Amino acid sequence: MKVADNVNPNVYEKGSLREVTKSDLDEELKDDFDQREIFDIIRNISDPEHPLTLEELRVVEESNVIIDNENNLVHVYFTPTIPHCSMATLIGLSIRVQLLRALPSRFKVTVEVTEGTHVSEHAVNKQLADKERIAAALENNNLVQIINQCVRSV
Amino acid sequence: MEPIWFKEVLADEIIKNDDIINEMQSIVTDIVCGHIDITRIVENMAGVLTHKDSENREKGMRFFTNLLKKIPQDFLTVSQINFISKFYIDRLKDNHRVIPAVLDGYLTIVGMKHFHISLCGEYFTVLFREIACQSQLRQDRLNIYLTMQNTMDKDIEYMKSLGPDFVFGLISAMDGERDPRNLLFLFNFLPKFLANIPLGHLVDEMFEVISCYYPIDFHPSPDDPAAVSRDDLALALCPCLCGVQEFGEQCLVLLIEKLDSSLRVAKLDSLRLLAESCKKFKPETYIPFLKALWSSLYREISHKTDEELKLAAHEALSALISNMAASHNTDQSFENFVKANSSKESCVIVTKTMIPAIISYYEFKTSAKLQVASLEFIGELYDLAKCWDVVNDIDKQANEIIPLCLTAVSEPTKEHQMAGFKALIRTIDVLKPDLVLPFVEILIHIVQHSDDHDILLVSVETTNAIAKKYPELIMDLVVKGKCNIEEMVDNKSILQKRLNLLSNLASIDDFTRVIIEEMLKIITVDDKNAYNVIKALNGSISNTSLYTEEKVTQIESDHGLIDSILTWLLKEIKSGSKESLVHGYTLISNTMCSLPSEKQKAVLERHSSKIMEKCQNEDIYYPLLECLYRSLQQNVYDSSYEHIMTLSIKIAINNDNEFIKTRACCLVAHFLNKAEFGQTFELLYESLKSYLSSCTKDENICLSLIQLFGWIAKALILRGSDLFIFWLQKILITLSNPECCQQGAEAIRLIVSDQPDCLNPRQHCRTSLLYRQRIFQSFAKLSEKFGPISETKETYLLCWAYVLEKAPKSVLNNEVGKILPLVVDSLDSDNKDLLVVMIDVLIYFVVAKNILVAQSFQTILPRLVKLSEYMKSMDVRIKSLQCLYEIANSYKTALLLPYKTDLLFDLAPSLDDKKRLVRNMAVRARTRWYLVGAPGEEKDD
Repeated sequence: MKVADNVNPNVYEKGSLREVTKSDLDEELKDDFDQREIFDIIRNISDPEHPLTLEELRVVEESNVIIDNENNLVHVYFTPTIPHCSMATLIGLSIRVQLLRALPSRFKVTVEVTEGTHVSEHAVNKQLADKERIAAALENNNLVQIINQCVRSV
Repeated sequence: MEPIWFKEVLADEIIKNDDIINEMQSIVTDIVCGHIDITRIVENMAGVLTHKDSENREKGMRFFTNLLKKIPQDFLTVSQINFISKFYIDRLKDNHRVIPAVLDGYLTIVGMKHFHISLCGEYFTVLFREIACQSQLRQDRLNIYLTMQNTMDKDIEYMKSLGPDFVFGLISAMDGERDPRNLLFLFNFLPKFLANIPLGHLVDEMFEVISCYYPIDFHPSPDDPAAVSRDDLALALCPCLCGVQEFGEQCLVLLIEKLDSSLRVAKLDSLRLLAESCKKFKPETYIPFLKALWSSLYREISHKTDEELKLAAHEALSALISNMAASHNTDQSFENFVKANSSKESCVIVTKTMIPAIISYYEFKTSAKLQVASLEFIGELYDLAKCWDVVNDIDKQANEIIPLCLTAVSEPTKEHQMAGFKALIRTIDVLKPDLVLPFVEILIHIVQHSDDHDILLVSVETTNAIAKKYPELIMDLVVKGKCNIEEMVDNKSILQKRLNLLSNLASIDDFTRVIIEEMLKIITVDDKNAYNVIKALNGSISNTSLYTEEKVTQIESDHGLIDSILTWLLKEIKSGSKESLVHGYTLISNTMCSLPSEKQKAVLERHSSKIMEKCQNEDIYYPLLECLYRSLQQNVYDSSYEHIMTLSIKIAINNDNEFIKTRACCLVAHFLNKAEFGQTFELLYESLKSYLSSCTKDENICLSLIQLFGWIAKALILRGSDLFIFWLQKILITLSNPECCQQGAEAIRLIVSDQPDCLNPRQHCRTSLLYRQRIFQSFAKLSEKFGPISETKETYLLCWAYVLEKAPKSVLNNEVGKILPLVVDSLDSDNKDLLVVMIDVLIYFVVAKNILVAQSFQTILPRLVKLSEYMKSMDVRIKSLQCLYEIANSYKTALLLPYKTDLLFDLAPSLDDKKRLVRNMAVRARTRWYLVGAPGEEKDD
């Protein structure tokens, strides 16, 4: 069996659950999507190599989520735990798939590696931006199985 | 000549001749010798056993039972016993006169050698359904218990297979048992029962029904020759309370509460229970409670004078330690517990170093959350020092705590102030007089100007704590100073808060006289502030941890609280606002609650006839009468009751004022609920029934009647009486009438919901455990008969929703087939309350993977999808999405797959719902459905 790229990653504490506010419970008010909500959708995706979540590994962070409600844009930057992580594309793909399933179709979702955190940053970004390749990847049962295992715990 | 039992006239002989019983021995001899078959004798008895007169049937059954008792236990054959058993089971449905003989007889049958255990399953089913155990006589109740014990002795495995129904039956049977001999029997029987029969979902109920006797408070009457002593009962109760591991947490909570009781007996019992429980419970059970246990044990061990208590505490401690030591995991908390509490010296050292360290930590620029936590920690350290009695040794360090509290409460944020005050309350012992003034300044400022409920409460509590320590200072600074009652301000809001503080302080002995006198003066001289005073007093006195019953009694006898308020009410009744009057009524009722029965009688004697007279003429005076009578003890009963009852019914039916009408219903319910078992109750109940049947069936009063029926049914079921079914039936009939079905539904809601001021133990009412289960069962049974017509369908479903909402979910399992169609129907309705309850029930069935739900997916899923966009309520949207999520999670892939594509499409709009909480649930549901049947799902189909 292949040994994980990063055998001993730094593990960080999990954040608390989002608190329910008064305005959340008000039937009349409209709640806009915000950074935290997008983050909550992806924070619990598990890492393909470790029994830990992306949040615990700080692969995704709330501050690395950008959302523009008016123009229907969502931009997520993720940070691989080490610069030569071979799983980067797979992690990016999991995030993308999860967002595709969980966000309204009006949003245009972009998932990219945080600048300067991976050796083949551009290659990974290019793959993740290519719709055809993603569609093709999702036809592959083995790949779908791994992705589903990652997003199962959400 | 052939004896009479060879002929059919035996039946008549049993009716006419009571001495026939003396012939029993000869009959038995004939049977045993084979001169006559038992079947023939039974045939000859047919006339009396099925006689149309219940008195004669009783004689017949008695005779039959006596016969069975005399016959040798191994004589009857299996088929004979089968036959007799069937007959006896059938007789359980007979008139109540016949029942004792049936119970007695069946006990004999169970004891027979060839009795087959499977017969008793049906017996118990019918028994639990038809017979209310606690309305039987002592011996008959014992017979029921004995039957259970004997059947368990015979075949424990079979009894296990009867499942929760048997457990439920036992719980309802023993709920309310008062006779010491029966209790002693039960306590001896229960440990065996608990050890063998799994309790399932009824753990809480079982514990409750046992623990209500703890600690035993019982004095045998002096002239009882074979008296059961208190100690016998206490000793027997002990193993019941710790009979199964599931009782662990509740048992320890109970035990710790009683360890801190001031009653010596309660302490002794608790220590023994603790020692006993160590034989049963696992070490983990004790971990959360170690701290509390330790401080109580330590206190008893260091007791100077009471040797018995000391010894018991030592035994409990050693049992506890050996239990903990036996655990394999070297748990950190256990070590900490032993270490931190290991000796006085270590405690001194720890607290001496920790307190200054925390204080400097607080002053170091750290986050608000940590500052609050450090205040809490200081409080805990101080408690530890106090428990070891070493406060004097850490004098210097302890003195620094109070200034820290002062710093905290001077901060502008609520969290700091709250934490500061709470720490101050814990360390009040080391508060020096020179710091009282600055605290009082802050407290009084908060009390007058803050609008935050929490901080107001804590401030009042803190003032109370300081007042207990320095009564003179607070008297000067607050009561006669800043909050002087004689110089009341005009600002009503500040005035009210001041009065709240004062009425709280009045609970302390040093202040009672001064404050209460002043307050009553305001009430009696017709001050414009009288209403505020009454409101404040009402708020404080209803807090029973502040005002003990003794205190209220003392205030009432010294100052005549009720008299003053009554006078005020009489003056205001025609002009005052409803709200202010209600405060007055509640205050009187709450004061009455706390009085012993003699005092209650005295108050009634003084006032009731006068008020009665006024009521006769004008209904508006009725609430006065009601508040006097609402909270009486059960043993206060006088001849005027029936009269008041009639008056109340009249008002409940005829008055137009909703408030007065409800009060009247409530009082009727209280009377019915509290009346002593037996004649008193029967008279009252008969007069109620005859009055109601004499009422003209006028359409105008129809709605009032339904409301009253609801109250009556509730009162009856709470006292454990099966008579409630009669009234429930009446309410159910209304459900098929479009004009009054709404009122019927309200009545059902009333029966199942809790009322804050009515039918509670606080008002000395009887309350029965498991009453909601009983309602559920009766409702389910009766509603079949009174099915709805299409116009009232929704109300009918709503009634079900009320009942289902309050019934414990686990009892629904047996009735899925009946409930599910109602749930599915309701999903189509447009009533928010109905939807919320019904989807909850559906979720419960789904999580239990009930297969009936899967068979209706075709109907259920589209309805849930539609509800996920139900605009009127986000709760409905969230719950329906949750239900869809649970469905995907619970059922086999094969059942779900046909719907997957449609659902993924249908769930998409909810992802863009305007409420975030709905979107969150939609995300869960949709991502879960994506996994259905997909690779990587991992579901054990």
